[in-house]
Amino acid sequence: MSNILEVHGLQTLYGASHILHGVSFDIKAGETVSIMGRNGMGKSTTLKSILGIAPPRSGSVIYKGEDITRLPTWKRMRQDIAYVPEGRGMFHNLTVKEHLLMAARKNSRGEANWTYDQVLEVFPRLIERLTNKGTQLSGGEQQMLAIGRALLTNPDLLILDEATEGLAPLIRKEIWQVIRKIKDSGVSTIIVDKNIKVLNELCEMHILIVKGKVVFNGDSETLNENKEFIEQSLAV
Amino acid sequence: MDTSLFLVQLLNGVQYGLLLFLIASGLTLVFGVMGILNLAHGSMYMIGAYLAYYFTTLTGSFFLAFIISGSIALLIGIVIERFLIIHLYKRDHLDQVLLTVGLIFIFNSIQSFVWGNDPLGVEVPALLSGSIKLTDIIEYPIYRLFISALCIVVAVSMYLTINKTKLGMMIRAGESDRAMVENLGVDISKLFTIVFAIGVFLASLAGIVSAPIVSLVPGMGEHVLISCFVVVVIGGLGSIKGAFVAALIVGIVDTYSSVLLPQISSMSIYLLMALILLVKPQGLFKN
Ligand SMILES: Nc1ncnc2c1ncn2[C@@H]1O[C@H](COP(=O)(O)OP(=O)(O)O)[C@@H](O)[C@H]1O
Ligand SMILES: [Mg+2]
Repeated sequence: MSNILEVHGLQTLYGASHILHGVSFDIKAGETVSIMGRNGMGKSTTLKSILGIAPPRSGSVIYKGEDITRLPTWKRMRQDIAYVPEGRGMFHNLTVKEHLLMAARKNSRGEANWTYDQVLEVFPRLIERLTNKGTQLSGGEQQMLAIGRALLTNPDLLILDEATEGLAPLIRKEIWQVIRKIKDSGVSTIIVDKNIKVLNELCEMHILIVKGKVVFNGDSETLNENKEFIEQSLAV
Repeated sequence: MDTSLFLVQLLNGVQYGLLLFLIASGLTLVFGVMGILNLAHGSMYMIGAYLAYYFTTLTGSFFLAFIISGSIALLIGIVIERFLIIHLYKRDHLDQVLLTVGLIFIFNSIQSFVWGNDPLGVEVPALLSGSIKLTDIIEYPIYRLFISALCIVVAVSMYLTINKTKLGMMIRAGESDRAMVENLGVDISKLFTIVFAIGVFLASLAGIVSAPIVSLVPGMGEHVLISCFVVVVIGGLGSIKGAFVAALIVGIVDTYSSVLLPQISSMSIYLLMALILLVKPQGLFKN
């Protein structure tokens, strides 16, 4: 299987503070990959560097065999990458329906695997909220909308940053179910989350980041073999 | 004031208000979406009027002049955004003031160099000249009704574009969180060029259609800019709906005060603004 994403030696700084110290990993097409790590270790910064939101000082990002390190963010997204950021990125002046409509587009091959109706089928809770503004929704509904909006861009690579953070257990479960559905549809996915148990069983590969460095990169089996080390690195 | 005069003044006030809306909507749209306060916005009104004069004289047809001038205005908007405004997005407000005030001087020099400082006028196009009887005793110039109708068509088109189209949704989303709009694969810089060009077009359009009913004089842009600021501040900075309501209020108050209270008419709209800001410091429709 070919790699959909190759990340080589990312060095990223915010002003003078050096956050990423040579982050590297590969993701195979169709794979679901977790990125784990304590708060402040550089998980979100890794995602932002991949997307050009926090451009790395050095290192490269190869996506579908092409070097995209210097592309503006929107052009990367146009190559069928979708991003659900921490904080969900709701628009205060757009309704739920408008969030979905403004983002909807065919992918770069002209295919639309996800439609407006399909997204509402997956997230029936949004149906009653269609005329509400994005910021009027509950946390869980916002998350569903953010994921639904991302799906409507028909991505090949979906990047989720803390999609279940701060949500009630029942809502979390719903979100995980949808993520599983997305995985089954063949979309490559990067998931940043704290729930190791779910990640262990959902993702093929796992990456652990500590202080801006990848300290573990392996499949679920290897993860289980190194359980003690992983749990130690995640403990607060 | 008898009823017929009252009605004619109301029509004048509404017409002036609608025209103010045309200009102010561009100013407030550009500010709301792009965070740019374009002080040269009034200059685009002036340029629109002078272009209309130039091409009407050249072609003998106001309607031809209307189309040519409107197209040139769009082009000017695109060029200014691509080459000048684009450098402002990451800079502070002082730089915005310096650049856009600089543009005022440039456009004023161009105006003075090309057309001179004597007042100029454009004739009302024959097709729209004359008056129609509204009632037995009231007559009203057709051209002013045309201006009002055109402004209403533009206002409705703007409303539909902003509220019902994908482009409009993207523009509003950009107002809320431009980074997230980029995250969704939208070329925000192209969006900004479009919005700025629309803003310039709206101001110029107002200048073009005003050309037959005002006299073209140096400084006409600054005068309009100040009225525009009053409208935008009353309506709430960045709110198009607010600009619409405020423009009508300002148009009507300005028109009646010059008839009823000519002694204070030049300050009436500022008094109005002060009163409204006392009650609503953010303007009428600040979101
Ligand atoms: N915009 C920013 N400016 C400065 N420092 C930042 C910024 N964003 C994050 N950081 C810092 O970078 C480090 C890594 O942050 P982040 O990647 O968000 O961590 P994580 O997602 O793993 O919790 C943290 O110490 C954080 O304080
Ligand atoms: Mg984070």
